[in-house]
Amino acid sequence: MVRNRARHDPRTEPAAEALRLVKVTKSYGAAENAVTALDGVTLGLARGTFTAVMGPSGSGKSTLLQCAAGLERPDAGIVRVDGTELTGAGETDLTKFRRGRVGFVFQQYNLLETLTVAQNTVLPLKLAGRRVDRRRATEILTAVGLGDRLGHRPDQLSGGQRQRVAIARALVAEPRVIFADEPTGALDTRSARDVLALLREAVRAHGRTVVMVTHDPVAASWADSVLFLADGRLAGRMDAPTADTVAERLAHLGDDAPVGV
Amino acid sequence: MLVLALRSVRQRPGRFLATLLSAFLGAAIVMAFNSLHDTAGAPGVDAVSSETLRTAAGVVGGYGTLLVFFAVASALTVNVRQRAAELELLRCSGATPGQLKRMVVGEAVAVALVGTAAAVLPAVLGGRLLVELFQDTGQVARSVDHSFGAVALSSGVGVTLVASAGAALLAVRRVTRGRRTVRRRPVFAWAALAAGAVAASSTFAFSATDEMLMAFPAQGAILLSVGFALMAPKLLTGVLGRLALGGASGWLAVRNLRRRAGELSGILMALILFTAVSTATLTMQAVESDEVAASGTVKSVAAKNLETLNYTVVGIIVVFVCVMLVNSLYAATTYRGREFGQQRLAGATPGQVLGVVGVEGLVLTVVGLLFGTAAALAGIVPFTVVRSDAVLPGQLVGVWVAVAAVGAAATVGTSLFTARRVLRTPAVRAVGATA
Ligand SMILES: Nc1ncnc2c1ncn2[C@@H]1O[C@H](COP(=O)(O)OP(=O)(O)OP(=O)(O)O)[C@@H](O)[C@H]1O
Ligand SMILES: [Mg+2]
Repeated sequence: MVRNRARHDPRTEPAAEALRLVKVTKSYGAAENAVTALDGVTLGLARGTFTAVMGPSGSGKSTLLQCAAGLERPDAGIVRVDGTELTGAGETDLTKFRRGRVGFVFQQYNLLETLTVAQNTVLPLKLAGRRVDRRRATEILTAVGLGDRLGHRPDQLSGGQRQRVAIARALVAEPRVIFADEPTGALDTRSARDVLALLREAVRAHGRTVVMVTHDPVAASWADSVLFLADGRLAGRMDAPTADTVAERLAHLGDDAPVGV
Repeated sequence: MLVLALRSVRQRPGRFLATLLSAFLGAAIVMAFNSLHDTAGAPGVDAVSSETLRTAAGVVGGYGTLLVFFAVASALTVNVRQRAAELELLRCSGATPGQLKRMVVGEAVAVALVGTAAAVLPAVLGGRLLVELFQDTGQVARSVDHSFGAVALSSGVGVTLVASAGAALLAVRRVTRGRRTVRRRPVFAWAALAAGAVAASSTFAFSATDEMLMAFPAQGAILLSVGFALMAPKLLTGVLGRLALGGASGWLAVRNLRRRAGELSGILMALILFTAVSTATLTMQAVESDEVAASGTVKSVAAKNLETLNYTVVGIIVVFVCVMLVNSLYAATTYRGREFGQQRLAGATPGQVLGVVGVEGLVLTVVGLLFGTAAALAGIVPFTVVRSDAVLPGQLVGVWVAVAAVGAAATVGTSLFTARRVLRTPAVRAVGATA
């Protein structure tokens, strides 16, 4: 069961700590050739913050986000989102919990091919049985630059456009915590800036919490702080990052990290 | 390319199971019935026995050939469509359309050969059983021995191979020609409908005791159902255009069906044919038997032959269509793991995903039953009006309920069962696997 459900009904006040992970461990595969994707990660993020997660390819960033959002089950450790512990809940309970409070922009776009841009955007609301505010949906789609593509299907969009639909979809449900896995990975500089501005606005204007995985030091510089990940472990943190300091830090990441697993 | 074909069959035998099963069943039925030709051709068989055996072989053999083609084609189409991505990749890595064609056709032929080889023994046993069946009802003399010879073997191998190669060629052409769907000519559908209407209404030209009476309404119902089946995509789109279902699951289901109308028309076709042929044949046979019993006369050998044939044909069609429905629905649903994952990530609970699948299955079943029943009634009503004095026979209800139950169970049951299995994979992995 998702604990404290009554106390953390979506209408109640958000918890002060948006995300807490305690000694979260996750490995993939069978015993002899198992890959440890996360190795005892402990972290806490306050409400209303914008955090970037960086690290080499395969360092466990996507896994971290998926565990934090309750999409993957950690092997050990505790995950608490908006004050509610996710560990041990069934898929139906987790889904219902996520609907009101967690938004996710995936590394792959994950739009349903059978639905139009507008329909894809409001799908989470429909599934949750919530009122669908089409004007608001159109507003957000316009903000991501897709105001003239509402009736298109995903296969008629470019990769970057699809990514922006996924972002609009995450914003429309007005979740407390938004996890974004390389949301600007497929975008040109300008569209990337628009998307980052949207995410930052969600934090500044609406008090949401955003956790974003990125490989781009410029994108990371939009965040309040950067968490560095190497070999499934936290390898440092930087507040008030700039593109240069982040790039500098990335270049030396792993120098002082423990070798091997 | 043939090496590639064989390797791909060996690597993923599971994917070819549906095709293999269709080829196996088809070859078994075709060979079992065609062995009756061999039996009839043996020296020392009397005229009546020979006549019975040849009629059975001719009628069911013909039906069987048609069904084999249909079943193998549907299994192969699903198979090729599922591998569209793989084929596209091969094409991008420099495989010419000709090479792709040879690969897919090579695979299909290999699978068909294996299926036919495996079917020989069951076909021998089945043929022997058929002869015994005819002997028990006195339609074939006791002295006749079953023989399994050149006709059985050559027809089995020939039909299965030609059906597989032809179906594979069509399927791969559809893929390599890009996404454009081949426009089915509406002429065939209209011609089938017109011929069906003529056949059904010519029933009135016969008298109640005519031996040929059942032939025309039965052909009429079958032709009408073929017409409807050819129009399946259009019928489905038409119905869906008017359909508005409540709830998130219903909303999604209708949209999915609208987009996938073309893909699903194969399943709808099978449902329409199944409903029409089994409802019409079983009801008319029941009416006929009851009328004969009521009049107190004894059935002639010809009438008995017809009865046996009717039940055999319906039996074969039911088995085939069920296997086909289960095959193609299972394959199609397994393939939707990624889509289900996307729905779940968008906030659908497993229950809602199953709800979508259930509603889709239900809509398909209802549409299939609707048009199948319409075609069946077009044959049944003229028949009962001429044969007895009623318009709608009392036997219809029982038959229809049984047919509808089998159709619904096969369609909705398979989809839900498969979807439940697919949902066991965590959503993020289901989405990532084929990305
Ligand atoms: N479903 C899976 N099955 C097996 N191993 C997996 C699976 N998902 C991830 N891994 C492994 O876990 C490790 C961490 O993967 P993860 O996707 O979290 O990396 P990442 O930091 O997001 O990398 P990238 O920057 O390339 O997206 C990798 O070594 C990867 O091979
Ligand atoms: Mg990743």
